[in-house]
Amino acid sequence: MNCNTLHTKMIFFLEGELPEREMEEIKIHLESCTDCAAFAEEMKKTLAVLETDKTPQLNPFFYTRVKARLEKQAEEKVVTQRIPVFARILQPAIFSVLLLAGIYTGIKIGQPAKINSDQSVYTENEMIPYLNEMEAEAIENFLME
Amino acid sequence: MNEAEIIQKLQQGNEQAFRHLVENYQKRVVNTCYGLVQNTEDAEDIAQDVFVEVFRSIGSFRADAKLSTWLYRIAVNRSLNHIRDNKKRKWFQSFEDAVKEKKAGLLHYATENPGTELENLQRANILHEAISSLPENQRTAFTLNKYEELSYKEIAEIMDVSVASVESLIHRAKT
Ligand SMILES: [Zn+2]
Repeated sequence: MNCNTLHTKMIFFLEGELPEREMEEIKIHLESCTDCAAFAEEMKKTLAVLETDKTPQLNPFFYTRVKARLEKQAEEKVVTQRIPVFARILQPAIFSVLLLAGIYTGIKIGQPAKINSDQSVYTENEMIPYLNEMEAEAIENFLME
Repeated sequence: MNEAEIIQKLQQGNEQAFRHLVENYQKRVVNTCYGLVQNTEDAEDIAQDVFVEVFRSIGSFRADAKLSTWLYRIAVNRSLNHIRDNKKRKWFQSFEDAVKEKKAGLLHYATENPGTELENLQRANILHEAISSLPENQRTAFTLNKYEELSYKEIAEIMDVSVASVESLIHRAKT
């Protein structure tokens, strides 16, 4: 075993977790190699640091923070749950209104179908934001009551 | 309260049971996260998320598993995800930032552990670097073994691998 291999195995040697044959091999090497012996000594001290390192101080506010996180997520969930309601009910409603409006203006104006569809697209673009805003507010108020 | 009682009460949304669980497992969960991410603040942050996830998914908890195994598993998964995200971010970070961060981390350790001399700080730093350089599954096995002092069998259950695989992971970490 060369010095480099020995260095990578040192942590496990010190923990006594190597196969017996390797444990023995390293012991013999350490007796004759001062570099590795010094490294072993250093590593031993480092591992002792791990003992104090591995018990982080308990934060007394830990539970309170977990609780706050849970509550915050519950709130966010309520908010996001509102959106699908709009998507499910309002969007088709708005589209059917727009479709009817398109057909109506089409018949009224009596233009060829091609121009008619162009016109309804134009109306849609203009009306969606407006309608969304109005209806959203109405539902919001309804939920607040 | 025994484990079955705690689980039952948790599934009913009992807050007292949840508090009991957090207080009982806080140290183990924080410690595991800390071993993996090697940063106190991040470890606590992840640990809090672990308990939030536990509370929200207790309904799907299988009674044949141990509560601690499940908690450790969530803690490991979340910590590893954090490390992966961090790696992506670090990739874009300049070298200078990395150095600054390291110094801050060392200082943080110094203020948290007053009594320890600089020599020990340097040792801790060497150790953190050594652990951070291990591949994910080895780091997990090492952390659970060294920080949590779990047996190979327990580690195998948490990582959902055979005991032999855990042994070989720990042994490969040596070569
Ligand atoms: Zn040597």
